Amino acid sequence: MTLKVMSGNYAQSYAACLARVQVISAYPITPQTSIVEKLADLVASGELPAQFVKVESEHSAMQVCVSASALGARTYTATSSQGLLLMHELLHWAAGMRAPVVMGVVNRSVAPPWSLGADHADTMSQRDTGWIQFYAESNQEVLDTVLQAYRLAEDPAIRLPAMVSEDAFYLSHTLEPVEVPDQSLVDSFLPARDARAVLVPGVAARLGSFTGPQQYVEFRREVAKAMERVPEALRQIEKDYQSLTGRFHGGPVEYYRAGDAEAVLVTMGTMTTTARTVVDEMRAEGHRVGLAKLRLFRPFPATEIRELARRTDRIGVVDRSFTFGAAGAAATEVAAALYSGPHHPVLSNFIVGIGGREVTPNHIHAMFDRLLAGKGPEVQWMDLPLPPEEVAHG
Amino acid sequence: MGATLEIRFHGRGGQGAVVASELLAQAAFLDGKMPQSFPFFGVERRGAPVTAYTRIDDHPIGIRTSITTPDIVVVLESSLLRTQPVTDGLREDGLLLVNTRNPAEELMIPVPVRRAVVDANQIAVAHGLGSPTMPIVNTAVLGALVGASGVVSLKALDQAIDEFVPARRAENRAAAEDGYHAVHVVEANTPFTPPVPQAVGPTLSLPEGPVATLSSELIHTSAWRTLRPVIHLEKCTRCNFCWKFCPDDAFTFDEKGYPVVRAEYCKGCGICAVECPPRVIEMVEEA
Ligand code: SF4
Ligand code: SF4
Repeated sequence: MTLKVMSGNYAQSYAACLARVQVISAYPITPQTSIVEKLADLVASGELPAQFVKVESEHSAMQVCVSASALGARTYTATSSQGLLLMHELLHWAAGMRAPVVMGVVNRSVAPPWSLGADHADTMSQRDTGWIQFYAESNQEVLDTVLQAYRLAEDPAIRLPAMVSEDAFYLSHTLEPVEVPDQSLVDSFLPARDARAVLVPGVAARLGSFTGPQQYVEFRREVAKAMERVPEALRQIEKDYQSLTGRFHGGPVEYYRAGDAEAVLVTMGTMTTTARTVVDEMRAEGHRVGLAKLRLFRPFPATEIRELARRTDRIGVVDRSFTFGAAGAAATEVAAALYSGPHHPVLSNFIVGIGGREVTPNHIHAMFDRLLAGKGPEVQWMDLPLPPEEVAHG
Repeated sequence: MGATLEIRFHGRGGQGAVVASELLAQAAFLDGKMPQSFPFFGVERRGAPVTAYTRIDDHPIGIRTSITTPDIVVVLESSLLRTQPVTDGLREDGLLLVNTRNPAEELMIPVPVRRAVVDANQIAVAHGLGSPTMPIVNTAVLGALVGASGVVSLKALDQAIDEFVPARRAENRAAAEDGYHAVHVVEANTPFTPPVPQAVGPTLSLPEGPVATLSSELIHTSAWRTLRPVIHLEKCTRCNFCWKFCPDDAFTFDEKGYPVVRAEYCKGCGICAVECPPRVIEMVEEA
């Protein structure tokens, strides 16, 4: 184990390298570029014996990964924003073909207007494609999660693609200390991919070709069932990882001082770090506040959210994107999870940090204050120059 | 935060401000600290103003925002003092370090803080880093920062340069060493008026429809300029090529049809000098 100062992007590259990926294909886009530049260097120097397939678009990059994966290769790609949107069609293919591709995504706002800042609209637009989705808070979590994502994606009972997302600039270009596990340790955690149930040259078989309604439903149901197995499998994977590295990121949801909290903010990604500091400050002043960080967004950790609602009366869901015509994506999911549960706390949705707008300690304070003060409007856009606007929940 | 030391770098694309913030983080780590560094990303162009941040603490950093009340501000090029609000939020007991030929006493800045100067251009050029018109000054400036503040040890900086600078390591290490010795510090001696912290992110009220309803006439790209075109009119053929090729439409014409550069738009790209058929446009260093 060595401690090194590195960016979130390099944490992606080194994780893919430690996972001994065999095929990499990617197209550059700011702020993802240094992930694949580093991997290209590692391949060129011989340190990583993989094939780097250069392509003309993200769409083709994903096609390369899906095809190589069908032949049993461990594959990696990375993209961001418009690049992810261009991949959209192939994301459905990857999930439907049960290709355990792992992809790094740098969460960046979607145009127009052109912008480079952190924003979750790009990955939220891919919620329904059948990909497992992780959101990371630190560069350490990026590296650890990529390794865990391979174990999860390649689990024979799951076999689904997984994306590991990191906020643009707040992780992608931030340097901070990261513990890099030794190769031997990673090898014992992540063995070579189980090559059964994939295409074999010389053996006639079809993958993803035409199917009538008699079978299509069954194929889709299989994907749904695989998703349902993810939380349980992830808990075991994290246990194994913890016994090897000593690090634990909380499974599908990581709680922070939420056990006896009157008010809990549900956060995703880098805003959580700043929020932890604010929780400590507010606790010191006697406010019982806490956090629940959504590490996993697909499948959505509904069980954990229902459990949270048993212990707390006020939940504020913080979304770094907005689903037009509805509410923040995480808030909608939280509301849906709670409807069928026995506990119905006050629920607020805060929209913040869009397009790279900073999420400061003041914002976090303001959200807790509004949450503690009573039932605010359901959806509140924070940080507008005007008073918080009320937006009807569609 | 309290104990967290916050350093903000202001430079121009191509000078190495982002790398400076990263090298400082690596050096702090070698000193046994827990650093964090990141850039603010705007236009990715040579010459465009760039901001980068480094935080240093004994414990992992518990905040992920840009730095609005820095302990130290480092300015890699003195012309930024005119065009960028570099001293915004700088703490009363803080330090301002500027790369300039001029004495520290003559720095025109709105806040009376401890200040330091170093002629990093000269040091960089002496070690062959960058070109005389576009020297890469980051390592010389970092050496000066260590000399003026001791935020990291010179040994750690030296080692960080050796490990993480991709090329010309010996020259960069020598430049840091020279910067360390050449930096000149003057103490704050005038009473301090508390600075107004920089607002977090611009919030503009937007019209419906397009993003910009203002003419680009109002956008002055001259803040990027380090070189300016001088036209030797006696040899000018009035062909208007310079006008046609200027990406910022910086040219107008006088009544006789000779080109005139509008200084507020010229970003100093030098395209006009290359395209001018008789080559009568010369790019000279901004005074
Ligand atoms: S250097 Fe010449 S071409 Fe470039 S912006 Fe200035 S006037 Fe225009
Ligand atoms: S391109 Fe050169 S010769 Fe032609 S108008 Fe401009 S300065 Fe004069």
